[in-house]
Amino acid sequence: MDFISIAKPMDKIEEEQEVIILGGGPAGLTAGIYAGRNLWKTLIIEKAIIGGNAALTEKIDNYPGFPEGITGEELVKRMEIQAKKFGSKILEADVLNFRIDGIWKIIETSNGIYRAPTLIIATGTRPRKLEVPGEEEFTGKGVSYCAVCDGAFFTGKRVAVVGGGDSAVEEAIYLTKFAEEVILIHRRDTLKAEKITQQKAFSNPKIKFLWSHIVKAIEGDKKVERLILQDLKTNEIKQLPIDGVFIYVGLIPNTEIFKDILNLDKDGFIITDEKMHTSVPGIYAAGDVRGKILRQIVTAVADGAIAGMEASKFLEDIKYNKEV
Amino acid sequence: MALLKEEDRQYLENLFRENLKDKVKIILFSEKAAGSKLVVPGRIECPYCQQTREILEELTGLSDLLELEVHDFLTDEIIAKKYNVDKIPAILFEKNNNVLGVRYFGIPSGYEFSSLIEDLIDISRGETQLSPTTKSFLKTVDKPVHIQVFVTPTCPYCPRAVRLAHQFAMENPLITADMIEAIEFPHLAEKYEVTGVPKTIINEKVEIEGAVPENVFLEYFKSALKD
Repeated sequence: MDFISIAKPMDKIEEEQEVIILGGGPAGLTAGIYAGRNLWKTLIIEKAIIGGNAALTEKIDNYPGFPEGITGEELVKRMEIQAKKFGSKILEADVLNFRIDGIWKIIETSNGIYRAPTLIIATGTRPRKLEVPGEEEFTGKGVSYCAVCDGAFFTGKRVAVVGGGDSAVEEAIYLTKFAEEVILIHRRDTLKAEKITQQKAFSNPKIKFLWSHIVKAIEGDKKVERLILQDLKTNEIKQLPIDGVFIYVGLIPNTEIFKDILNLDKDGFIITDEKMHTSVPGIYAAGDVRGKILRQIVTAVADGAIAGMEASKFLEDIKYNKEV
Repeated sequence: MALLKEEDRQYLENLFRENLKDKVKIILFSEKAAGSKLVVPGRIECPYCQQTREILEELTGLSDLLELEVHDFLTDEIIAKKYNVDKIPAILFEKNNNVLGVRYFGIPSGYEFSSLIEDLIDISRGETQLSPTTKSFLKTVDKPVHIQVFVTPTCPYCPRAVRLAHQFAMENPLITADMIEAIEFPHLAEKYEVTGVPKTIINEKVEIEGAVPENVFLEYFKSALKD
């Protein structure tokens, strides 16, 4: 983005909550269910998509209880209804600023200022960029980070997917619904994705693999026309003519506004203990934003449940008087 | 078969009961023969017209404050021209005898269905969720502005861009904001080189890739007003 002007709604009065949850993905919504069932006044603040990254997944096959699989959209919609049913409110707004004043955690958003004694951070992650020439310039012009959004534009065309984890391989399979050929480019010579997903990809005739290659640049005139690749085994530089490239090379935690207040790990994820406590009392982290070994919906909801319960305990411990 | 599931019907009925205030008329431009296999000379291919009509019929049946008026794009040519409708399906909104600048071209399905619901509530209540800063700026706009937001129904980020543009249009009658379902209008997707959504075009000169926050969108909007 070239310019960003931060609006500061200074004249608004802080609205009081008991639990504020940042992020409306599976972790945040589950925290909302647990906090709501303990009858705390709970506000979930989401900036873009209720359901978070999970809503971007076409089909989820590893969430227990859905042996036939379920779409990401449907699963998170059910979580949203459940969170609302137990009293959580959902606000769509951007979080602009965060500060602590005594017991209060104060969140300034594009739609009002809110404060609560407890804060659950479930802000998740965003896609990591390749950071190669052409990536920024051609975003929306052949470079995409969202296969479900943009896949249909590549009907009958030839696309590349960069990465080797679950997202990359799943989205490569999804893109074969539209594209004539999908070329999966991975820096290593084996995939990291779940074995069952790998099998599906290997048996799909539309998917080709380019092992041990990295993307050096994305080139074209007005839109993506080719990738410049490097073969890591031979160091040879090659051109790959392509109509589009989908990038799934990892995640960046959305923790920028907390970096001076909370302890983060070297990659920027929030460090918590097993009770989801951060380095500040009353502040919890849950889901993908937390430093952890497995980032899945099933672990996100577990984190959310713990964070919701721990926030409840905190509120009871400080004998916070509930306004009923 | 109904397009809305029973649980969704109930949810929407409640939502409308609690949130709608004034009457809103939904105006749909479609085609009479939508859905039939009959070949009619001059007839435009409109694979989603029939479904769009069905969903709007079901939706307007959920509240006495909602009404549906359907026009045939070909036979009601004069009305279509009057409202600048150049493609179908097209959805417009009328309140207190004024047709608003909030428009949908293509079916509001998938994620865009929620945009339609939120739009209806805002229009009926006569208020948007925009910040005071944005609202006061939009009051000062004194020349026509045309915003086009390209979407796909499977894009979770898109409703945010559509809703922002539509709320801008609700604040000032000189602003027209169109949702355009890119897959249904491939000639427009090609013209504006859309291969990623949401993509927003303001007055044919400013392009925004992706969904941006309100304050950032306002800056783009301002830059489109400069000569």
